[in-house]
Amino acid sequence: MFWHNLKYEIKTVMREKDFILWMLLFPIILGTLFKVAFGSIYENAETFHTIPVAVVETKENEVFAGMLTAMTEGEEPALSATVTDDGEARKLLFDGDVYGILYVGDTVELSVTGKGMQQTILQEIVARCSVYETVIRDAIAENPAAVSDAVKALSAEVDVCRKNASEAGNPDVYVQYFYNLIAMVAICGCMTGLHVSTNSQANQSTLGARRNCSATPKSIHLVTGVLGSAVSQTCSMVVCVTFLRFVLRVNFGGSLFLLYLSAILSGFLGVTMGFFVGSIGRMRYEVKEAISMSVSMVLCFLSGLMVGNMKGIIAEHMPWINRVNPVAIMSDSFYCLNMYSDYRRFMTKIVGMLIYIVAFTVIGVLFARRKKYASI
Amino acid sequence: MKPTVVKIDNLVKRYGELVALDHFSLEIKEGEIFGLLGPNGSGKTTTINCLLSLLTFDKGDIEVFGQEMTPTSYDLKSEIGVIMQNVAVLDELTVRENIDYFCGLYVTDKAKRKALVEEAIRFVGLEDFVNFRPGKLSGGLLRRLNIACGIAHKPKLIILDEPTVAVDPQSRNKILEGIQELNRQGATVIYTSHYMEEVEQICTRIAIMDKGRKIAEGTKDELKGMIRNSETVSIEILELPEEAKEKISHLPHVYETEYDGEKLTVRCSGGRHNLIRILGVLQEAELGFGRVYSELPTLNDVFLEITGTALRDAKE
Repeated sequence: MFWHNLKYEIKTVMREKDFILWMLLFPIILGTLFKVAFGSIYENAETFHTIPVAVVETKENEVFAGMLTAMTEGEEPALSATVTDDGEARKLLFDGDVYGILYVGDTVELSVTGKGMQQTILQEIVARCSVYETVIRDAIAENPAAVSDAVKALSAEVDVCRKNASEAGNPDVYVQYFYNLIAMVAICGCMTGLHVSTNSQANQSTLGARRNCSATPKSIHLVTGVLGSAVSQTCSMVVCVTFLRFVLRVNFGGSLFLLYLSAILSGFLGVTMGFFVGSIGRMRYEVKEAISMSVSMVLCFLSGLMVGNMKGIIAEHMPWINRVNPVAIMSDSFYCLNMYSDYRRFMTKIVGMLIYIVAFTVIGVLFARRKKYASI
Repeated sequence: MKPTVVKIDNLVKRYGELVALDHFSLEIKEGEIFGLLGPNGSGKTTTINCLLSLLTFDKGDIEVFGQEMTPTSYDLKSEIGVIMQNVAVLDELTVRENIDYFCGLYVTDKAKRKALVEEAIRFVGLEDFVNFRPGKLSGGLLRRLNIACGIAHKPKLIILDEPTVAVDPQSRNKILEGIQELNRQGATVIYTSHYMEEVEQICTRIAIMDKGRKIAEGTKDELKGMIRNSETVSIEILELPEEAKEKISHLPHVYETEYDGEKLTVRCSGGRHNLIRILGVLQEAELGFGRVYSELPTLNDVFLEITGTALRDAKE
């Protein structure tokens, strides 16, 4: 009876039009749109590239010359300098071949025509150069023996942050949208979980009544129903992650096995949440469906699916919401997997999901196990 | 004496102030097609739901095959087939898969189940639609599928709760013939309906329900025998002198005479030649008349006489 039920539960869910649309096609379509929308933003706007700059020397400046050499050397230098005259430099700037002109004399001055990350970096370099120059000149004038110490002190990196062991993951902030997409697909599994509950209860559906009249115990209907939905949900999670990872080539970093594990557990959590909602109360199916959809969407919103920095806003004002929001836990698990080589934080997310799964299932079964109904 | 299959004793079910079943008792013997007849809201479906242990009840006892029926009486449930008032099938499965699924809730042996499924398909005449999904079936075919899902495991007791609602006449006949065939094969049948013609056509014994109470029980002849009316004669006649009407109302066995200016209705209790005697009076008075009907009492007449309301007009 168990396998017979499970077989048909899986068949039924996999053939549902809603399941095919929302669980399989929707993430593929939305994932593709995300890729089109965000795919190159990070690469173009936030990844560091060598900044081309024109240098016009009006007077020899040894300190700056040393700094410029340091910044134009190496595999991926900060600057690519073209030393030229003022007229040529202006032409390069207006043609967009360089981001700024550095006028080098006793002091260093910057001329730019626009605003952006590159211009800001150039400004920072000029400011630093000015500080270095002042410090070194003062040292030479007051205590020449201290010059080498001053140079050392200026070169030393002062680290005021605690470092966490980090994975060589994908630092693209827009990958967060894909985490949220996976989490949304997972939480949409609540609709199949809801079906399991209503289709097993005589006071919720005619099918439930018929099943309750059969020779198969209700526990088998419930268990196979949840398992069948979980198996179907697993398929949709695997399709979703595989499509994002291998077709759209979204770099999630971390271990692929753990990525799938996290996605599958997330799907299971979605199913059990729906089962829980379906089991409590005597409301009509349509009401429960509306509750499930609304709750899912609110949780997705709070986790940042619709507004990218929402999770940050919540972390600042009401951090406990991020700790209890199942969708935030799901997307955080992907984030941890990507960003931290140490799996401690990832494991706390996994444990959080397991707690939810067990709680939703147990409470759902306690409510749904009712054998007789006061009204049908 | 045949064994009792279902025994309901003094059943009371309340929904708040509303008494849905009011000390309702029933005993159904093996091999019967037992009809529960009553208007919508009379308590038929509530009785069935209590019998199937789906509903809690306030008072009373229910036994099936001599054992108390409880939600965990899986042995008893395996002998019962249920066809609900509303179609309860899985839209995503084909006709064959649906029957196999529901049959599998009772029969674990795969080979045995396969044979039972094929037999059920043939029985309801869905051979040409085995790979169709329910959404592609007409209302009548869908009802047949609903029945096949309930009877595929060959239950000893089959409960049909208004299985012919919104069904075309062809499918209705097929369903009624099927129920009689199942009964011939040995199944005891409980059939609820508010269509008195159906109940009259197939049921060997009938209980009439109204407002949660059993108001009469017996074979259709026994039920009809409970009321005064045995024959209703209707004659289309454009003119009926008072003298002739008076003469007719004094004929033997006539207990009620009505004339509305177009039609004379005469109700008789007992007697074998009422029509001849009435026509004799009209001929004697040299009165011309049109069409003549002689109708035997129906269950509606039984219901009307006992409750004062026609079954068709009873409040839903």
